[in-house]
Amino acid sequence: MDTFAALSQGLMVALQPMNLLFAFVGVMLGTAVGVLPGIGPALTVALLLPITFKLDPAGSLIMFAGIYYGGMYGGSTASILLNTPGESSSIVTALEGNKMARAGRGGPALATAAIGSFVAGTIATIGLALVAPTVVDLAISFGPEDYFALMVLAFTTVSAAFGSSVTRGLTSLFIGLALGLIGIDLQSGQARLSFGVPDLLDGVEVTTLAVALFAIGETLSVVAAGARADEIIEPVKGSVFMNKEDWKRSWKPWLRGTFLGFPIGAMPAGGAEIPTFLSYALEKRLCRKPDEFGNGAIEGVAGPEAANNAAAAGVLVPLLTLGLPTSATAAIMLAGFQQYGMNPGPLLFATNPDLVWGLIASLFIANGMLLVLNLPLVGLWVRLLAIPRPWLYGGILVFATLGTLGANPSLVELGMLLVFGLLGYVLRRYDYPIAPVVVGLILGPLAEQQLRRALAISVGDPVVLFQSPVALTLYALSALALFGPLLFYVITGRKAPVGGDED
Amino acid sequence: MKHLFRGALLAAAVAAAPLGAAYAEINELKIIAPAAPGGGWDQTARSIQHVLQTDKLVQNVQVLNVPGAGGTIGLAQFVNGSKGDPNVMIVGGYVMVGAIITNKSPVNLSMVTPIARLTGEYEAIAVPANSPLKSLADLVAALKADPQKVSWAGGSAGGTDHITAGLFTKAIGVDPRKVNYIAFSGGGESLASILGGKVTVGISSLSEYDAQAKAGKLRILGVSSAARLPEAPDVPTFKESGVDVEIQNWRMIAAAPGITAEQKQALSATIDKMVKSKAWTDMLAQKGWANTYLSGEAFDAQLAKDIAATQTILKDIGLAQ
Amino acid sequence: MSDPRPVSTHGPDKARFVIAFALAVLSLVIGWDAWRLSGINSYSAVGPEVFPALIAAGLALLALANAVEAVREGAQDRPRDEIVPMAWVLAGLIGQIVLLAFGAGFALATGWLFAATAKGFGKGPLWGHFLAGAAMCFLIYVVFAKGLQLALPAGPLERLI
Repeated sequence: MDTFAALSQGLMVALQPMNLLFAFVGVMLGTAVGVLPGIGPALTVALLLPITFKLDPAGSLIMFAGIYYGGMYGGSTASILLNTPGESSSIVTALEGNKMARAGRGGPALATAAIGSFVAGTIATIGLALVAPTVVDLAISFGPEDYFALMVLAFTTVSAAFGSSVTRGLTSLFIGLALGLIGIDLQSGQARLSFGVPDLLDGVEVTTLAVALFAIGETLSVVAAGARADEIIEPVKGSVFMNKEDWKRSWKPWLRGTFLGFPIGAMPAGGAEIPTFLSYALEKRLCRKPDEFGNGAIEGVAGPEAANNAAAAGVLVPLLTLGLPTSATAAIMLAGFQQYGMNPGPLLFATNPDLVWGLIASLFIANGMLLVLNLPLVGLWVRLLAIPRPWLYGGILVFATLGTLGANPSLVELGMLLVFGLLGYVLRRYDYPIAPVVVGLILGPLAEQQLRRALAISVGDPVVLFQSPVALTLYALSALALFGPLLFYVITGRKAPVGGDED
Repeated sequence: MKHLFRGALLAAAVAAAPLGAAYAEINELKIIAPAAPGGGWDQTARSIQHVLQTDKLVQNVQVLNVPGAGGTIGLAQFVNGSKGDPNVMIVGGYVMVGAIITNKSPVNLSMVTPIARLTGEYEAIAVPANSPLKSLADLVAALKADPQKVSWAGGSAGGTDHITAGLFTKAIGVDPRKVNYIAFSGGGESLASILGGKVTVGISSLSEYDAQAKAGKLRILGVSSAARLPEAPDVPTFKESGVDVEIQNWRMIAAAPGITAEQKQALSATIDKMVKSKAWTDMLAQKGWANTYLSGEAFDAQLAKDIAATQTILKDIGLAQ
Repeated sequence: MSDPRPVSTHGPDKARFVIAFALAVLSLVIGWDAWRLSGINSYSAVGPEVFPALIAAGLALLALANAVEAVREGAQDRPRDEIVPMAWVLAGLIGQIVLLAFGAGFALATGWLFAATAKGFGKGPLWGHFLAGAAMCFLIYVVFAKGLQLALPAGPLERLI
C-alpha cells in the first residue's frame, strides 16, 4: 500500500543518526521549557521555533516534533511532581498524579503518563495516517449546536467528579463560571466584569488559575497547618517503576483515553481539555476502587494523559487535511510549516507527500525518543520530592511565578496568582473541591459561545438546538450519565455497581 | 558532519548574541510585540529582528512580548514606559486602531511616533463551493432581502473582519447594526464552520481562504483591495462589484513618544534600509506577506484617515459610543 | 475531597456563613454587571448579559444553600491555622510583586520569595536563603531569558550580562 511505503520512506529519513540527534535535542529543550507552569506546548514551540529555522526541512521537522512532544510531557511531569500544571490539558493529570507522587508513587505516575502518552500518540498517529480524510468530514459536520451538546455532556459527566457534597461542588463550579465571564465577550465585543482594568480584558488565563489554586493554595495550606501537617513526603514507596497491578490498571484507560481524545481533538472546536475531563469521569465510573479516586488512582493519570496526547495528534487531522489550525499549537505549527515551504491545505497530501509523511514519521520518532529519554529519568525526577520541605515549597513558588511571568510578563498576572492562591487556600480549608473551579472556567465560556453562535445563526430560534442527530445523541448520553445510576436503582432495587452505564 | 557543525553553531548562537557586527548606526534596539509569541505581530517583530541583525543594520535586537487586549496593553506600557527612548520600538497594526476604540483604551496611536507601514493583507469574502451565492451581487441581494438571514463568520467582534462586514453592509445601504456576525476565536474554527455550511459567508484575510479556494472547496466572492491581487487574479474587488469599500489590515512599526527629530530620522532611515534589503524581500516572500511599505507623512495621513473611518463604522455597528 | 461530618453542634458554622455572604456579594456584582450590559444596544440574538444573569442567579441560590447547610451542619471543629508561617509566605509573594514593580529584576525579587517561603516553613536564616535564592534565580534568568528568549523582568543584576 502506498501509505505504508510513504511512511516507511519517512521513517528511514527520520532514523538517520543526525536526525535522531535533532529529535533528542528537541525533546530535551521542549521538556525544559514545558515544565514551566503556564507555558504549554504552544508557547514552547513558538519560543523554540526560531532554533529550528536554520536546519534543513527534515531536521527541523523532527526537532519541531520533539519540542512539541517534549513540551507536552514536561507539562505532565510538573503536574504530577509539583502540582503545577504546565498547560490546561494536564490539569486533570495533577488531580490524581500529585496525590500519587505524595504517596510515594510518583514513579508509576510518571511512567504511566509517559507510556500512556506513547501508546496514545502512536495509535493516534496511525489514525492520522489512515483515517484522517474520513474523520475530518465528520468533524467538519459538527455545528455550534452539536458542540453545545458536547459541553453539556462534559458538564454532566464531570459533575460526577465533584466529590460528595452537591452544594460544595456546585459552589466551586459557579465560582469558576463567574471567573470565566471576566474579559471581552467574543460575540459582542463588550467588556464584562473588567472594571476598567485593561489587564482583565483578556480574561483569566486557565493555567494561571490552575497553578494558583493547586500550587500556591496548597503551599499556603501546608504552611498554615504547620507542625500539624508533619506529612513526610516519601519519594519512593514500593517500586519506582510500574508493578504488575499498575500495568493491569493502566492499559484499558490508555486505550479508552485514546479513543476519546483523537476524535474530539480532530473536531475544530473540540480541544484537548474536554477529552481529559471525559476520560477522568469515565475512569472514575469504571474503576474497581472508586475510593482511590481523589487519593491517587493510577487510572486517573493514565486515561487523561492518553486522551491529552491523542487529542494533540487529533488536532493534526484538520491541520494536515484541510489546513485548519484549530488550536493555538496548531496555529503556531502552521507558521512553522510555512518556514519549511509547506502550505498546509486541502492539497497538502497531494503536493507535498514527502513532507507530510516526514512529519508523521517525525512524530513517531519524537514520541519514541520521549519514552527512551524519560523512563530512565523517572527515578531521578521523583528524587525531587526528597528535597526538604522549606526548599521544595520555595522552589515550587519560584517555579510557579517563573512560568506565569514567562508567559505574560505582567504584575497584574502575578497579583492574580496571589489572589487565586488565597482562594485555593480558603476552598481547601473549608472542604470545597478545587477542580470544579477550573472546569467552570474552561467549559463555561466554551458552552456560552457555542450556544450563542447556534442561536445567532438560527436568528434566535431555539429549535435548532435539538435538530441534529449528533446533538440528540449527546443529550441522551448526558441524561444517561446523570440518571443512569438512579434508573438502575429503580429497576433493580440495588445500588448501581461501579461502571457499566456509560459505554 | 556539516549538520553537526551547524548544530554546534546553533547552540552557540542561542547562548550568545551574534558577535562582530562591523557597522551599525543603532547599537541596540528593543522591539515590543504587543501579542503572545506566534501571532502576526510577534512574527512581524521577529522578522524585523532577523533582518536587522543579519544585515547588521542594528547590532543587537531584542523582542519583548507584551500580550493582551488587542495590543493595547503593550501600547500602554510602551507609551508610559519609553518616553523619549530612541532604542525601543513597537509593532502594531490596524487591529489596534479598533481595539483602542472598543476597549476605551487610555492610550492611542497619536501618542506614539509612527515610522512606517510595513506589510498588509486584504480582506476576502468567501462561501462554500456549493453555496447558492455565486457573486457579490448575489450576496448584496441576499443582504437587502433580509440582513439577519446572512450569517457572517469571522474573528472577534469589533476586529477587522467585523469592521469590513459592517462597512460592506453600510455601503449597500443596509443598516450595519443588523449584520448577523458570528465571532470565532481562531481562524481554523471559523473556516470549519464555513466549509461545513453552518454560516452563509466567511470574512477574513485572503490568505486564510486561498488554499481552500485553490482546492475548490471555497469560492471567494471578492476582496477589499483597490485593484485585483496577484495571488487571486480571478477574484473581483468590492469596488468592481459596485461596493465602495477598500480596507487593508496593515502592520506597522512605531517609535516612542517624545523622541527628537534626529532620532526619528535615524530610525526611519534604518527601517527604510531594512525594507529595501534583499533579506526583507525574501522574508516577505517566505511568509506570503505583501509589501505595502508607506512611511513619512503619507503614512501619517493614511493612519489618520483609518482612525476616523474606524471610529465611524464602530459607532454604526454599535460597538462604540 | 474528604468530608468530615459534624462532630459538635454549637450553633451554626460561622465560616460557611461568611462564604455564603461572599457568594451573595459576588452574585450582586455579576447581576449589576449584567444589568449594565443589558443597557448596551447589541446586535446578537442572545446578548452578552444573558449568561452573567444566569450565573448570578445560580450564585444567589448557592449562597442560600450554603447558609442553610451552615445552620444544619452546625459549627465544625477545625484545627487552628498558624498565622505567622502563612504571613511569611504571603510576604514572599507580595514582596516579589513589590520588588518587581520597583524594577529590582527577576533574580532579587524571586530570591526574596524563595527566602520568605523557606522562612515560613521554618528554615532560616533569611539572608542566607535570600542570597542562595537570588543566585539560583539569576541562573534561571540566564538560561531562560538569554538562552530561550523568555521575556523575564530585568533589574540591575540582569543588566550586568
